[in-house]
Amino acid sequence: MTRHMLRRSIGVALLIGALVANRFAGFFAQDLIAEAAILAIFALSLDLLATSGLVSFGHAGLLGVGGYIFGGLTVLLGLPPALGVLAAVAGGLAVAFVVGLFAVRTTGAFFIMVTLAVAEMFFAWAFRSRMFNGADGMGGVPRLDLTSIGVDLNDPAAFALGAVLLCAVIWALLELVVASPFGRTLDAIRQNAGRVSALGGRVFAYRLAAFTVSGGVAALAGALKVQHTNFLSPDLASWFASGDVLIAVVIGGIGTLVGGMLGAAALVLLKDVLSGMVGHWYLFLGAIFITVAIAMPQGLVGSLLNYWDARRARTAKGPEGEGA
Amino acid sequence: MNVALETRSLSKSFGSLAATRNVSLAFAQGTRTAIIGPNGAGKTTFFNLLAGNLRPDGGAILLGERDVTRLDLAERARLGIARSFQRNNLFPEQTVRENLALACALQAGQTSIFWRAMGTLRAVHERADAIAERVGLTDVRFETVRRLSYGTQRQLEVGLALACDPKVLLLDEPTAGMSPEETARMRALVGNLPAGLTMVIIEHDMDIVMDIADRIIVLDYGSVLVQGSPAEIRSSDIVRERYLGERSAAHLSGGAA
Repeated sequence: MTRHMLRRSIGVALLIGALVANRFAGFFAQDLIAEAAILAIFALSLDLLATSGLVSFGHAGLLGVGGYIFGGLTVLLGLPPALGVLAAVAGGLAVAFVVGLFAVRTTGAFFIMVTLAVAEMFFAWAFRSRMFNGADGMGGVPRLDLTSIGVDLNDPAAFALGAVLLCAVIWALLELVVASPFGRTLDAIRQNAGRVSALGGRVFAYRLAAFTVSGGVAALAGALKVQHTNFLSPDLASWFASGDVLIAVVIGGIGTLVGGMLGAAALVLLKDVLSGMVGHWYLFLGAIFITVAIAMPQGLVGSLLNYWDARRARTAKGPEGEGA
Repeated sequence: MNVALETRSLSKSFGSLAATRNVSLAFAQGTRTAIIGPNGAGKTTFFNLLAGNLRPDGGAILLGERDVTRLDLAERARLGIARSFQRNNLFPEQTVRENLALACALQAGQTSIFWRAMGTLRAVHERADAIAERVGLTDVRFETVRRLSYGTQRQLEVGLALACDPKVLLLDEPTAGMSPEETARMRALVGNLPAGLTMVIIEHDMDIVMDIADRIIVLDYGSVLVQGSPAEIRSSDIVRERYLGERSAAHLSGGAA
């Protein structure tokens, strides 16, 4: 089994596990499954960007853009939720494109600072916005209406099922993108942007495209998140939320797509378990993540894949199998 | 003869160090030019200016009729200036074939395709395999680059530049750090490049320089000290005095490296 087959198997197993769990779980667990699936979609968007070598620390800004567009159109203007979802994705693409025009000219720590600053600007606006009820937030955000096909998304099991299936679709699409010539170019840029330029590649354009698509997916996650909680608040775009998704991707394994999904599931579950046990649960969560980061610097999936490769290389170059 | 690449009064300084001083050179199409000179003479800086890694402080660079002075590295690469690097500058996590296929896909303008797998680009992979064959990497095509020996990586370094299908090929010390066998293979490769290709090579191995170059340029302190045919350079007093110094003149006439 190759590295990519193993990676994809983990993803499929994770999604099937979520679907099976959702079938037999109770109300609270279904709520967690939906939360994890939405965070997983958000993590996928961040990891697509990471494929091009850029790590954002303001990705929740784009989550917020999606949430606020959806909330604004459905709650304030009374437009249908389906239109809200489409507008949120379009808005996410547009905002990411415009921000990307200057942000992706930077890399490393500078890119982190630029994305953080832009997200904080959005947070500051949302925090004071009269229209959206400022820091208090706004309730009554509706869910997508699928009663025409006999599905009531206000049922927690149905909503969680929908979120997991959508996560599966996004994952499959991004797998396709990452394996394409475009995706391979992004990965080459991550490894050695200078050489891609020397070969004639417009590094800026590829990174801008990755950031734009990433923004569309993040905004989709935002539109889902406000439907899930039925609530819109500036916290959606806080740097805490940016940190959470970054932790999910790093713990799961950056640049593996599947790692982000696994990290999202682990983060949501751990938060729930720990917060039920102790008061200052973030402290324990932090300790667990530091332990994982030290023991597995490539993240859960990344380290497993590297271990797998090393073992395969050893068996291929065994005492008598030198030529294999 | 058509001039493929030309510099006019090209200059570049780093602080008070003038790395390239008022260099005006023309490279006719299909010629093989070697640039030699002591360490720190500004050879790599000159290459960085030609390829677009650095912006000159003054002067102009022309590719054919076209002024490319203000174009960046990627734009010049697309117009046909390809370079290899003095230090290996590859995609270490990918296989040799993936490295070459990516370069070929960039050259073919197919890297905006996002809806089907890289592996489905058959023409690109056929070209990648052909280049692997030319630079002697067929046997290690499926090896991850970082696991290859330094010399083998050097071969890929030249392979990536060839994958750009260049008009002008700039090779920066392609044989540096290579074993004698690898050097011999590189020498054969460089000697058998297509006739229409204009090549400029920075090389310390004088056997190779004398063998493949039809013109030699000696750089010293950032400016052209002397230029001429291999025979002229071999007999030049100024080269013996300034460049060879304590090195024996026999070196130039084909002694051991």
